[in-house]
Parts: sequence; structure tokens; C-alpha cells
Amino acid sequence: MSLSATNLLVALQHADGQFPSGGFAFSQGLEASSSLADRLGAFDFADFVDIQIRHRWADADRVALVRAFRLAGDLDALAELDSEVEASTFVEGLRLGSRRNGTALLTTHGRLGTKGATAYRGMVRNGSACGHLAVVQGLVWQALGLDEATAVAIGGYQMVASLATAAVRLGLIGAIDAQASMARALPAIEAAGSRPVADGEALRSFTPLCEIAVAMHGVSGQRLFSN
Amino acid sequence: MDARTSSATSSASRVGAARIGIGGPVGSGKTALIERLIPAFAARGVSLAIVTNDLVTAEDAERIRRSGLIDPARVAAVEAGACPHTVIREDPTLNIAAADDLEVLFPDVELILIESGGDNLASTFSLDLVDWWMFVIDVAGGDDIPRKKGPGVLKCDLLVVNKTDLAPYVGVDLEAMAAQAATARAGRPMALTNCRSNNGIDAIADRIVSDVLFR
Repeated sequence: MSLSATNLLVALQHADGQFPSGGFAFSQGLEASSSLADRLGAFDFADFVDIQIRHRWADADRVALVRAFRLAGDLDALAELDSEVEASTFVEGLRLGSRRNGTALLTTHGRLGTKGATAYRGMVRNGSACGHLAVVQGLVWQALGLDEATAVAIGGYQMVASLATAAVRLGLIGAIDAQASMARALPAIEAAGSRPVADGEALRSFTPLCEIAVAMHGVSGQRLFSN
Repeated sequence: MDARTSSATSSASRVGAARIGIGGPVGSGKTALIERLIPAFAARGVSLAIVTNDLVTAEDAERIRRSGLIDPARVAAVEAGACPHTVIREDPTLNIAAADDLEVLFPDVELILIESGGDNLASTFSLDLVDWWMFVIDVAGGDDIPRKKGPGVLKCDLLVVNKTDLAPYVGVDLEAMAAQAATARAGRPMALTNCRSNNGIDAIADRIVSDVLFR
């Protein structure tokens, strides 16, 4: 993948953890899995990240992002894809988290004037679209003029960076260790990201222990993260 | 499309309800202040909605919803993800989205109060999120807070010193504390309140109606 300086800078801007996307409020099951280790089995951050990449992001979120990207701003088709994401995300905590995170990202892009963001935010608000994060990422990053491979790389990077940040805030790992973990995860993102996505490819994920943990954690009332 | 220029570099003007932030340390009385302001605004004919930021639970939102003072549907809760300052400053998108939704659900809303989760003296509100904001401290938190000149104390539009009734019980010279706060803020507005007895609330409501709603 070779990027022009312009596109590289745009990619850096939108991959940056400081870009306001609402992502800091979600741990994607990390908090639940780590806090319920005594009931669900030993917890290891590197293992958790690897499972999330290979068994959730690679075949579900990444596929949704690519399909959304290829829809090139067709909002009705995006809403249909959004429904697929909704139906394929079994646990409520992860499903609602993805919707809230996507809506937050849309909110920022709406204010920035990114093409399609305000209209799709309206569809989310009136219930004709769900606003899942991966779908919104595909919508706005395509609208920014980025290429598909770069959009996939940003999506994978943000997923892992978000987990690392949450792990630091939960006190599971230190900030430097988090960077070491990210470095180890990058090849897995690259490998998963390079696999072709067929048009209309189904969304598949298999993270049962994480989903059980989120389901159990969701009713505890004591959590720092939204999921 | 040119990725560099495809997105506007500044946000468009927003038309809608005025948004007010209420920040301050844990236990300073932010929720109690809101509970007093709700009837004060009702008496002034101001249509209100509220967004609360809770760290670990939905305690503040539920407390206000169950207060009987306001339609519970007008109270939205945002979970702050372990970072109460992030959700009001660096990344206020979840709060903006919640306030936007309240505006659409209740088109008559004129004023949205956004309560931060309890934080430290460095917390400030993004002006992407609010038009005007208060910082609430209390005398029991220590009379040295104004002297420490945290950004919350210095930059807010109104500093509220709450629990004035406790001053004699915690060894605080209220007059001196207020004078130090006024000096630290170089004369910018400040209010002394005792939310428990409703002291000082009307003055805050009047100020907001005047300075924010321009009535």
C-alpha cells in the first residue's frame, strides 16, 4: 500500500486517538472479560486482542467496513448493511455500544461537514438506520477520499488502540507495555486486512467467552466502560 | 475527491437550545444544584432537559429522574468511560449526541444542563459542547481550593461555592474564601449557595436566564 503524503496525513488525522469519536467510553468486552476471569477462565490481554482481531474484527467489523466503503454513500444500502450488523451482533452490550460509538463518530463528521454524515445521522435518529461503528467508518472514510485499504488499516488500528487504552485505564497493563502489545498486534491486523472481501460477504464472528462476559457484566451496574 | 479538503475545517453554527455545563469535584453538590435549578427554571417558564455523566453507575440520572421534578424522558445519561473530563473536553461527542437527541425529542427545549461526572480542579468544558459553564466547589472540600487556581475555578463562566452552611463546622472562614476566589477570578462571577436550603439558587437562575437565554 503506497499513500500520497496528503492521504497519509488525512489517515493519521482520522486514526488518531484524539479524533473525537466517542471510542474512549467502550472497552468491547475487555473490562467484562478481565473482571470475570475468576468465573470464565484466566485473562490475558494479548490473547484477548488476538481473539478480537481474528474472530471479530477480521470477518465481521472489517467486512462491514469494506462493504460500507464500497456502497460509496448510498445511504439506503448502508442502512440495510447496518441491519445485518445489528442482527449479527448477538450481545446487547456490544450491539448498543457499536451503535452509540457509530452515532458519536457521525456527530463529529456531521459538524465537520463530511458528505453524508448529517443525512445518515438523521436516519439513525428516525430509526431507519442503526448507526453501527463499522458502517459509519466505511461511510465517512470513503467520503473523505481515502482508499479502501487505508480505511481498513485505520479501522484495525483503532480497534486495537482502543483496547490498549482501555487496558491502561483499567490498570491491566502499563502505558509502555500497551505499546509493546500494539506492536505485536499490528502484523495480525495487516494479515487480516489483506484478505479480500467479496461483495455481499456475510458477517461472521465467534467470541463466545467475551460475549458471555459482556452479558454478565451488563447487569452488574458497576462498570467504568459502556461495554 | 481531495481527502485534504473534503471536510470542512470548522464546525457550522448550531441552532437549538442553549447548553450549560456543570462541572466540579465529586461530592461538591452538582446534582443537588440541578435539583434546585429545575423548579427555579420552571418558575421562570424555561423548558429544560438534562444530560448527566455517570462514571460507574447511572446514579445521578436516576436520582433526577425519580425526583418528580422533571419528565424522566427529559433526562439522558451518558456513561463517561472512566474519564469524566474526556467526555466533556477532549471528546464530547457522546454528550453532543445526547443533547442533539433531546432537542429533537423535545423541540420546545430552550436550555440543556449537562452535568459532568465528578472530577478534579483541572476539568473544563469544551465550547464544542456548551455555551456557558459553571464549576461547583464546596467549603468542606477545603478553603484553599480557590488559591490553587485550577483551570476549572479560573475558566468557568460562574464559580459556585456550595455548602456555605458547613463553613463553621469545617473551620472555613467563608468571607476570606470568597475574597480569595474573587481575587483568583479577577472579579469574574461567583455565587455562594447552600443547595440544601435553596440559598443562592434564584440568583444563579436569574443570571443564566439573562446571560445565556438573553431574556
